[in-house]
Amino acid sequence: MNKKQGPVSKLHRRDFIMVALKGTLGLSSTLGLIGLIRFLGYQSDPAPQTEFELGPASNFPPGSRTPVPEAQAVLYHMPAGFIALSLVCPHLGCVINSVEQGYACPCHGSRFDAQGQVLNGPAREPMRVLRVEQTPGGQLILYTG
Amino acid sequence: MQTIRLFLASLLLCLSLLGAAWLQSRQPRPVSLLPTLTGQVEYCLTCHADLPEISPSHPVETFGCVLCHGGERLALDADLAHSTMRGGRNPSEFAVVEASCGSGDCHSGTAQDQRDHIQRAVTSVQGTYAGAIASIRFTYGAQSDQTARLGVYPVQDDHLTTATGLASLGTFDPSQESSPSVKAFADYCLDCHLSAEPLPGAQYARLTGCAACHTPTANTDLDQPVHHLTTAIPYTQCNTCHNRGNYDLRQMQFHPRTDQPVDRLHDYYQPIAQFVRCEWTLDCVDCHTRFEAMGDGDIHSNKKEIQYIQCRTCHGTLDELPLTRTIAGQDDLALRMAFLNPVIDLKVGDTVLVTEQGEPLWNTRQLADGAFELFGKATGQRFTFRPVMGTACEQKLDQQESRDCHECHSVKR
Repeated sequence: MNKKQGPVSKLHRRDFIMVALKGTLGLSSTLGLIGLIRFLGYQSDPAPQTEFELGPASNFPPGSRTPVPEAQAVLYHMPAGFIALSLVCPHLGCVINSVEQGYACPCHGSRFDAQGQVLNGPAREPMRVLRVEQTPGGQLILYTG
Repeated sequence: MQTIRLFLASLLLCLSLLGAAWLQSRQPRPVSLLPTLTGQVEYCLTCHADLPEISPSHPVETFGCVLCHGGERLALDADLAHSTMRGGRNPSEFAVVEASCGSGDCHSGTAQDQRDHIQRAVTSVQGTYAGAIASIRFTYGAQSDQTARLGVYPVQDDHLTTATGLASLGTFDPSQESSPSVKAFADYCLDCHLSAEPLPGAQYARLTGCAACHTPTANTDLDQPVHHLTTAIPYTQCNTCHNRGNYDLRQMQFHPRTDQPVDRLHDYYQPIAQFVRCEWTLDCVDCHTRFEAMGDGDIHSNKKEIQYIQCRTCHGTLDELPLTRTIAGQDDLALRMAFLNPVIDLKVGDTVLVTEQGEPLWNTRQLADGAFELFGKATGQRFTFRPVMGTACEQKLDQQESRDCHECHSVKR
């Protein structure tokens, strides 16, 4: 019995290798391009923020003491103007807590008065005073750097 | 032929790129930490975020990991990240402690600023083992007296402050010893100084260096990492070296205790020793001070020169009250110590017991009626006691050492 055979497309060896070559080159190019894009688009960790916009100065009434947690600082509105104290302990850098009569470091027990002066060690330096500026538009900017 | 070569080269390139992409996909997404103390980003938390805080005094946001442990702070490959760690898992090993615990002048400095912790621990008899070495060498004729000359490592002290302090110790080198007994001592008996690896067994489980005491690991599996530092040291940690058996100096062999203690009293192990109640109800650190346990900064020849707490330190004698001091200011060391282990709410104006060397027993306080209260540093348990003066004690005035108190007050075991 004769079997009826359909048309068979023959792929020559040379053609197969050319197709495979183009395929691997294309894939390699794509992978390389992806790698290049990722390399060029790499963003290193951003530098720590050192400038903080606090909003209108009118938000901080005279005599107020306002924590600024994102800046690890506390803002005072004194008769002489705005000042800020860093809540980073001058001893070893722990974040200082506000307590009833000033500040206390939870790590090693240093205590500071309300003006940031050392009441007891191990810290020897007072709390760091930070720069606060008021823009012509009345916005307060705190600098921690 | 050239087409085949080109195909093979492109296939190789493709496989290489796929391999690189696969490796990249296996890299964890870095978790960044910027410690305030160093100001340098480190990625250690990528893998170690589940570690507990080592102590309230060492928050990771402030110290990070690398300051103490070393290592490659930006590496995401575990082997690379750990390749330059100090002391393996234990940066408090004495060989590296100056670079880890001493860095940033944290625990390294002068006695005046109370930052000489490392110098005191490294020169202590528990660190050098100088007392045992001197005693054995004297016993077997290797030296003419019991003054320490050698330690398990060499040390020097440029600032002698006590009459018994020595200027330096050389290294105990068994190969230079002629006595077989001294050599045997070196082989079999040097396993409980602070740099020695512990004997096998959970009852001996401790780390080395500062962590030998400050990282309680007694009766645990040392293969499991422990991330904990404390000044609340239970007696069980002291027992990883002490009270665990006896050395037979004739055979230079260690004979471990074989009893199975069922209560606290019997957990102490010195068959011929006598104990009064406070010696087995308190923890060792409730009475023994920092100078006694960590050293006073001078090199001493034996434990007796540095261990000075007696019953009278807390109880006084028939004709003298114990020494006390009223806390005058916030900078008082007693307040600083109580802050680190707040078992007692000490305040300015409180009166605490002090040793003859002036060390405050900061876990004590005098009460209004003249009695005293003491809080267990590891347990927080409160005890009260009265001075001997004015009691019915019949002890002779010239017999006020602890051994004399034991005559009447020892408990039966």
